[in-house]
Amino acid sequence: MDKFPITVNVNGVRYDRAVEPRLLLSDFLRHDLCLTGTHVGCEHGICGACTILFDGEPVRSCLIFAVQANGHDIRTVESLGSTENLHPLQEAFHEKHALQCGFCTPGFLMTLIPFLEKHPKPTEEEIREAIDGNICRCTGYENIIQAVKLASEKMPR
Amino acid sequence: MKIEGEHVFKGPRQAVWEMFRDPEVLASAMPGTQSLKKIDDQHYEGMMNVRIGPVSGSFAGQLTVSNENLPESCTLTVDGRGAAGFAKGVGNVHFFENGESTTLMKYDGEVTIGGTLASVGQRMIDSVSKSMIKSAFETLDKALEARLAAKSGNTPIEFKPPTEAEFAKNVAKDMAGGLTNVAEVRMLLYIVPVALLFLIVALIARGCGG
Amino acid sequence: MAGKYFGQPILRNEDAQLLSGKARFIDDIDLPGMLHAAFLRSDFAHARIKKIDYSAALKRSGVVAVYTAEDFGDFWRPGPLQVPPPTAIKGSVFNARTLVPIAKDKVRFSGEPLAVIIAESRYIAEDAFDDIIVEIEPLDAVNDLEKALEPGAPLVHEDLDSNLAADVVQERGNYEEARAKADVVISRKILVNRNAGAALENRGFVVEWEERSRQMTVWATTQAPIPLRNTIAARMGLFENQVRVITPFIGGGFGPKIMTSQADDVLLPWIAMKLKRPIKWIEDRRENFLATTSERDQVHYAEIALTKEGTILGVKDVFYHNTGAYDPYGMTVPLNTQTHTVSNYRVPNFYTQIKMVFTNQMVVTPVRGAGRPQGVFVMERLMDAAARELNMDPAEIRMKNLLIPDEFPLRTGIIGQDFVEGVLDSGNYKKNLEKTMEIVGYEKFRKEIQPKLRAEGKHVGIGIVTFTEGTAVGPYEGARVTIGANGKVNVATGISTQGQGHFTSFAQIVAEQVGIDVKDINVVTGDTAHFHWGAGTFASRGAAVAGSAIHNAAVKVREKIFSLASKIFEEPEENLEVGDGKVWVKSNPSQSMLLGDLALRANPTRGTIEPGVEPGLEATAYYGPPYGATGAGAVAMIVNLDPETMQVKVEHFVIVHDCGTAINPMILEGQVYGGISMGIGNAFYEKMVYDDNGQLLSASFMDYLMPQATDMPAKMELGHLVTTTPLNTLGIKGVGEAGAIPTPAAFVQAVEDALHGQVEIMESNLNPSRIFEYLQKKQ
Repeated sequence: MDKFPITVNVNGVRYDRAVEPRLLLSDFLRHDLCLTGTHVGCEHGICGACTILFDGEPVRSCLIFAVQANGHDIRTVESLGSTENLHPLQEAFHEKHALQCGFCTPGFLMTLIPFLEKHPKPTEEEIREAIDGNICRCTGYENIIQAVKLASEKMPR
Repeated sequence: MKIEGEHVFKGPRQAVWEMFRDPEVLASAMPGTQSLKKIDDQHYEGMMNVRIGPVSGSFAGQLTVSNENLPESCTLTVDGRGAAGFAKGVGNVHFFENGESTTLMKYDGEVTIGGTLASVGQRMIDSVSKSMIKSAFETLDKALEARLAAKSGNTPIEFKPPTEAEFAKNVAKDMAGGLTNVAEVRMLLYIVPVALLFLIVALIARGCGG
Repeated sequence: MAGKYFGQPILRNEDAQLLSGKARFIDDIDLPGMLHAAFLRSDFAHARIKKIDYSAALKRSGVVAVYTAEDFGDFWRPGPLQVPPPTAIKGSVFNARTLVPIAKDKVRFSGEPLAVIIAESRYIAEDAFDDIIVEIEPLDAVNDLEKALEPGAPLVHEDLDSNLAADVVQERGNYEEARAKADVVISRKILVNRNAGAALENRGFVVEWEERSRQMTVWATTQAPIPLRNTIAARMGLFENQVRVITPFIGGGFGPKIMTSQADDVLLPWIAMKLKRPIKWIEDRRENFLATTSERDQVHYAEIALTKEGTILGVKDVFYHNTGAYDPYGMTVPLNTQTHTVSNYRVPNFYTQIKMVFTNQMVVTPVRGAGRPQGVFVMERLMDAAARELNMDPAEIRMKNLLIPDEFPLRTGIIGQDFVEGVLDSGNYKKNLEKTMEIVGYEKFRKEIQPKLRAEGKHVGIGIVTFTEGTAVGPYEGARVTIGANGKVNVATGISTQGQGHFTSFAQIVAEQVGIDVKDINVVTGDTAHFHWGAGTFASRGAAVAGSAIHNAAVKVREKIFSLASKIFEEPEENLEVGDGKVWVKSNPSQSMLLGDLALRANPTRGTIEPGVEPGLEATAYYGPPYGATGAGAVAMIVNLDPETMQVKVEHFVIVHDCGTAINPMILEGQVYGGISMGIGNAFYEKMVYDDNGQLLSASFMDYLMPQATDMPAKMELGHLVTTTPLNTLGIKGVGEAGAIPTPAAFVQAVEDALHGQVEIMESNLNPSRIFEYLQKKQ
């Protein structure tokens, strides 16, 4: 299958690659760029585990082809804090035990980053709505909601 | 799963009949139909390429006509298989004189589906198939109108069948209009199974025509 | 017995890696020269295979190999009976028909593998599906559990006379005599529907055969790394130590990842050895629904006999259990149902019969709850029907019949999944219920709030149920605890982890003994190169069984610290203290030594160690309970039903749970919350639906709905009771499945109550249309 050249800015780094037009953005990030923090849970846009920021907006990377990202800015979970220096949102997830297996967590984080920018002081209802497109099978969401509340206090605005 | 329904064609039974004998018209009502080969009077083979949204695949179908009572009714058995699964169907089709030069077509059948068709498509099949059938009958209505006009020597009416894309768009619009749940709109990605179902209906109709 | 570390809500060691996207999951593994596998699966549920022609697939660029059952020659054979049935139950019938790795001659469920394609990329492997021509003759499928046993039903296994997989009767007392004396006898048919584990991460398998060292390395998302290693070694004719199974981080387990004989487990090691290249297979979501195991699906004919005062005289339950097309996991699930049906109530006479049935569906193995929710659902529904018949309050009839602490330990007379007669070790069941009623405000809701809301036209209802959770079963687990020269601790155990927080809770157990901070304790789970004896993570046993083994090993290390330090300091052991990473003399704290330095001394380079002393600050220990520890609890929930849409909102959810000692209350609460969300999912969102032809109609997250954040209760409250078990030193009982077990029973009761008792609902998985149908039927 023919490959097409694309240029994508991921986490502030420019990547020039040639990809098949059918290659999913999630596979491109994970397997071509080795940014494996983005996870794939359902491959059909429901679970939200593969959520990334596409020009600042949260999108499902399993529903986008890599070629569609040509010329765009992508942010993945790797752009947040490191293991030694967590982002305040990650810290809040840690402190409130908002993750168990952690597979869905990167998707939640990438959904919440722009949400908290737009809603620096969210109500519980707003938080529930915001994460309604992300499935967590382990936690029952309760601690995630608490973590978002805590993050909204921690995050600089 | 059961499919049943009826449709009134604004034309006499003979004209409707002839239209159903015209493979080109039928193919235009269901864009993607690639072939319908007559093996003998009772057996046909059809191929349909379905490409709607991001999903595509081809299905091969065998059609058997039995209990023929032309031009009134017949029974059809369809066996279709493709990469996205399989469908088996038995259906009865009746054409009734309906007064005022109209024809009532009634169809009912039992369809069994399997594979991806069933496992991912089932929940929306019912509503989408209805919508697709509706959309296809609208096309056939226009075709019939054009044919009748041509026959009577009146001003010819131009008949332009919809493209595959237009057809898919209409169905999607029809579906989305009746839906409030976002999750169900996402289901439109899985429109393919229904296309196969419609193939069956089309084959049923066409089988009687042949 | 909370200490400085043990029993504290310590934040998790593993979080930073997971939060920053640096945790390695199975699909993150990329090896040089790695090939990718894809399975072509049957669209038909029951069919005879005539011919599979894959010659065109081999011509496709990038396809390396294609195999069907025939290509595996003698290597093809049915898999092991992973859990044999208990031999102790007299007169029981069990027909073992274990899972075949890939269909040969006949297909028995939709999704069964027909061919495996190995290619340079997964995309190419799946492209090759289109190249393979399968000639297949469909057969009638069997799906209805009762019809399956009727004469003339299509046979899933034609070498058997019927579709009966097992028939097991267990009994205590004499139900028929009790029934004759009863004032009231209530019989019901009760259905429990099928659910998926649906872990967010699908299954995966990566295998590498290193020809020069003759070593096989397997990365797998398994809950049972050691059994997986053992079965691979046995199948491949290798020594156990030639196969290393590693579990990377696993994205949720919930039961189905326990299997060791699915197509990938069996076939990929063989192919990797043939092709001499690493192979990776990552399951997709549809495959997970179709061809990874799932559970529930039982039909019960249940009966309860009572006095007119509401005292239970006996219970009889004859139930059909769907095992799917094969039964590699024995009778674990229905045995759990038998042991949990009456376990929390005083039921002197009990008759229970399993009729396990083969169907043309995917194999059934435990999913969080594992047979327990069925037993609890059946008993709680009987109790509700009895309460209505006797005009008693649901809480009152339960309170009257719950077992009391003086009755423990109580032998139940029913043999369970662990092959031994069940014994209820400890607990305070009435107190669980009392506390639940208190937190939810039961009396006030019944007397004041509900009448008021009903007057306003609201459909609000309350459900209240009790349950037990048999946990922490044998056979055993083991662990090795080692203090390194760096002053940190390495802990290795044989179970694997799917999000339960073992990297922290196990560290806490060790920290308490050796006085080294939890952050400096590295826990290794699921790597057979680090520890190679054990059974796995299932039946809520990780914390209690592996935790106890770890505790035992840590205690031995502590003893070694004191013994060696005593010699070095020339002080009696009782004069020594350990903590903050060092050991010192109590009377003279300046006389101290870092534990890392002590570890060096424990491993001398010259001289000798004393006879009878093992080198190093290291110890290995094992723990195996005589029988499982039983946790218990009660649940209340208040629901609000919208009569227009039949949508049910859980307004208030209360669970009081007793799992003995908590290692880490924060993690424990997280486990309970998670179980509740699965329970709510089972009750109102999730349902695996097979049609009459064995086609799974719900194989995506669009059809298999799981609770989202807005579906969870507006208010959730957890209450804890601690009745320690005498079965292990730490007093721990399991908790992993607790939330999932009672929730459907409480939900259905609450929905009935919200509908003013107009309808009686005897099935576990509802949804708005189903409730609507019940109401329609009534009218």
